[in-house]
Amino acid sequence: MVELVLIAKDLHKVYDDGTYAVKGVSFSVAEGEIYGLIGPNGAGKSTTLRMIAGLIKPTRGEVYVDGLNVFEKPVVVRKKLGYLPEEAEVYGRLTGYEHLEFYAKLYGVEDIEETVKYGVELSGLGDRIYDRTSNYSKGMRRRLLLAIVLMRKPRLALLDEPTSGLDVYGSVRVREVIKKYVRETRSAVVLSSHNMLEVEYLCDRVGFIYNGRIVVEDKPSRIIERYNVSNLEEAFVKAIEGFEKK
Amino acid sequence: MIGRDISVLLDKELKDLWRDRKTLITTIILPLVMLPLLGIVSLALIAQQPVNVAIVDLDSTRSTDPLLNLTVDSRWLVDNLTYHLHKYGYNVLLANSTQVVSDPDVDVVVVIPEGFSRNATSLKTTAKITVYRKAGYQSAARAESTIHSIVSVFSRNLSNYKLKALSKLAGINATLSALRNPVQAYTELVTVHGVPVSIEVELRNAFARILVLALSFVVTPAASYVIDGIIGERERKTIELLLVSPAPLSHIIYAKMIAATILGIIAAIFDALGLVTYIVLASISYGANIGLIIDYKLLIIHAITAFFTILATITIALPFITRTRGIRSASNVAGIVTTVGIVFFFTGFMIDYVKLSPEILYPLYIIPYVHSILAIQTYMLGYIYRSLLHLLFLAIVSIGLLVFTTKTINSEKLLIAPP
Repeated sequence: MVELVLIAKDLHKVYDDGTYAVKGVSFSVAEGEIYGLIGPNGAGKSTTLRMIAGLIKPTRGEVYVDGLNVFEKPVVVRKKLGYLPEEAEVYGRLTGYEHLEFYAKLYGVEDIEETVKYGVELSGLGDRIYDRTSNYSKGMRRRLLLAIVLMRKPRLALLDEPTSGLDVYGSVRVREVIKKYVRETRSAVVLSSHNMLEVEYLCDRVGFIYNGRIVVEDKPSRIIERYNVSNLEEAFVKAIEGFEKK
Repeated sequence: MIGRDISVLLDKELKDLWRDRKTLITTIILPLVMLPLLGIVSLALIAQQPVNVAIVDLDSTRSTDPLLNLTVDSRWLVDNLTYHLHKYGYNVLLANSTQVVSDPDVDVVVVIPEGFSRNATSLKTTAKITVYRKAGYQSAARAESTIHSIVSVFSRNLSNYKLKALSKLAGINATLSALRNPVQAYTELVTVHGVPVSIEVELRNAFARILVLALSFVVTPAASYVIDGIIGERERKTIELLLVSPAPLSHIIYAKMIAATILGIIAAIFDALGLVTYIVLASISYGANIGLIIDYKLLIIHAITAFFTILATITIALPFITRTRGIRSASNVAGIVTTVGIVFFFTGFMIDYVKLSPEILYPLYIIPYVHSILAIQTYMLGYIYRSLLHLLFLAIVSIGLLVFTTKTINSEKLLIAPP
């Protein structure tokens, strides 16, 4: 029996300024599964991920990680969770190694040395891990951030645009890290992106999110088949057109 | 658990602060160098202000009173004035006419009128000298004061001579002080409990007042650090990863506040050291014993007061800072809070809060800065327990405010800048 790591139920979010960002998003993710949340800018991807991470309280709806309510057991849930925000950055005056050590301690991991060692390996930064991050390129910083999130082997990893702003080599490397990580740990991953090729390559299932709603959800191959197109990008356009006509 | 995650967060904050050399240099080096330098430059500039004093002797005569056997020559006064004014660094020129008053280059004019010598020797008249001082120049006012001192000494010597001569003529044995100052008032400096003290206590009090004023300089860097630590982290996109950690938001805020307060304490210590250096330099130039002026217990009280004053300031500013759009608006909000503090510290420099009537003082107790001022002022008056009580109150208020204001903040408010 497949164990569900994440259950998001009927999530709604209305911000203080009246913006209705998310209008009833529901989905679940099983262990060892990579779920892609796809949509254009402003579709509600980041808000949904922030609600799952417990950073933003939903106006309505519930989120469960490993059966625990995110807002009722925040400390326990956060230890099971890894979240990489889309525009996350690092502290310029700390080294990459100090970052890994700091977050390992902050999450109260038992074997700090082993965790940091795994983080160094995930980052692929080699000896540059001991440099201050102000000397890192954008790609190096993103890899470090990914290592910070994944080194603890969280049950659920939320990766918001993990390859955002990276060049081709950087993107390929990050995708390899994510794939390898899920294979090794059997963790669940929710990945938000508007890069369809990336999603097609990485995800077991995808949900097209548009205007705060999930309009289509299935395996990438089935969606392509359903819309009778050659790739996910074309399927997305057709799905959105169909949704707007309704 | 509580202590562990705060110490991990604080360790990161302090590492970041320690490596922020620009902030540290401006916090440490500036007060340490600038305060003494400011004093030295002021003293040096005072000495560099040329003040031109003209002396017009319209009398130029010598007069003798045969009864008193007293001779006065107006040129003696001119010589006296010239010698002493030169000695104090003023430029002296001798003029023939009062026309010199209209010369814009001349700051002070001393006019010795005709008949000066005759009037000065007489037993019935007074010799009058007119001093013209150009309005608006502090340096001219100082020269005028020197002139009055010289004239006063000249006058006293003449008076003494006249009194001696008259006593001799009358055949009586009188002391000069009995004739000149038959009634005199003396001041004996004592503590509030009536124990005699030396003038150094007054100097220490003056130093304590400066320390109260110095609190103004320490709240600003601490407020800036908190702004950078919260709004700056949001703008630099480092805060989200921190907020999603298991560490409660309150602990993240506490660590930032403690780091900011430590920065404030560093500022307070170096401000105090800067002031001490300034006083040491000033005392060396005046030949005073600085050890008598500096009270090291007072410096400790000042450091503790500074710690909680900073904490209170940044805590009051915190809920407003977290609800601003960016660093600029956060700085404006923090500026309002720090200005309130600065205004109080200025009043603390000039007003004895302990002397305020209870009807005025007790309502003021709700303002934490009043306790900062009173902690120092009551200590200086010898009320140690009252000083500690104000410190305790300040500590409770600042920590209480910190706990309360942190509860008004949530991660959503921190993450998403208001529109």
